Amino acid sequence: MIQTIIGLTLVTLGVFVACVAVLGTYRFHYVLNRMHATALCDTLGLLFVLAGLIVLLGVSWHSAKLVVIIVFMWLASPVMSHLTGRAEILTHTHIEDECEVIPYERRV
Amino acid sequence: MIQSDFVNSYLLGACVVLGALILFSLVRAIRGSRFTDRIVAVNIIGTLTIIIMCILSVYFQQPFLADIAIVYALLSFIAIVVLTRLVIVRRRAQEERERMEAEAAAAQAKGEGK
Repeated sequence: MIQTIIGLTLVTLGVFVACVAVLGTYRFHYVLNRMHATALCDTLGLLFVLAGLIVLLGVSWHSAKLVVIIVFMWLASPVMSHLTGRAEILTHTHIEDECEVIPYERRV
Repeated sequence: MIQSDFVNSYLLGACVVLGALILFSLVRAIRGSRFTDRIVAVNIIGTLTIIIMCILSVYFQQPFLADIAIVYALLSFIAIVVLTRLVIVRRRAQEERERMEAEAAAAQAKGEGK
């Protein structure tokens, strides 16, 4: 019984975090601000929902696979955000209008 | 494993909410003013799809659906890396070309000055 309550609470929290992330894409007006909100869904939302499912399942191969998904997404999400931000900054012609830019000396 | 009608219907309700969120992200991807907006929206759609697959794997009691979710995570990661990498590499090549042209123009101007 307590297992069910904890699991379903975590799933609900995860869905709530996903709602907040999608709301953030509408509230903010620039890509780099939007990424700030959407990173929430990639990390915290996924962690909460999958942790809830693991609590529901107990210890098994099935829950081990869910742990693998959490670990992979936590490793991959920062890389994806970094690359997206870099593509945005490299292609935006008037980046100074949107945010403060410190020139970066590329090391050869 | 705890499985009851209440848990099953609760998980299905969570899936419905996440499906609605996917629709809203799709609207964001269509309306997004820049291409990075669309990439970010597609990223969210991929993550929500992974979450839905995991919930369904518990709902149907089929562990192989979790394997499919792993493959989907790898696929969305590769897609975004390739897409942004392409943009970055092309932008670098363009900058390099502009720099070379500027240097050539400067050398020519210097030659004419003599």
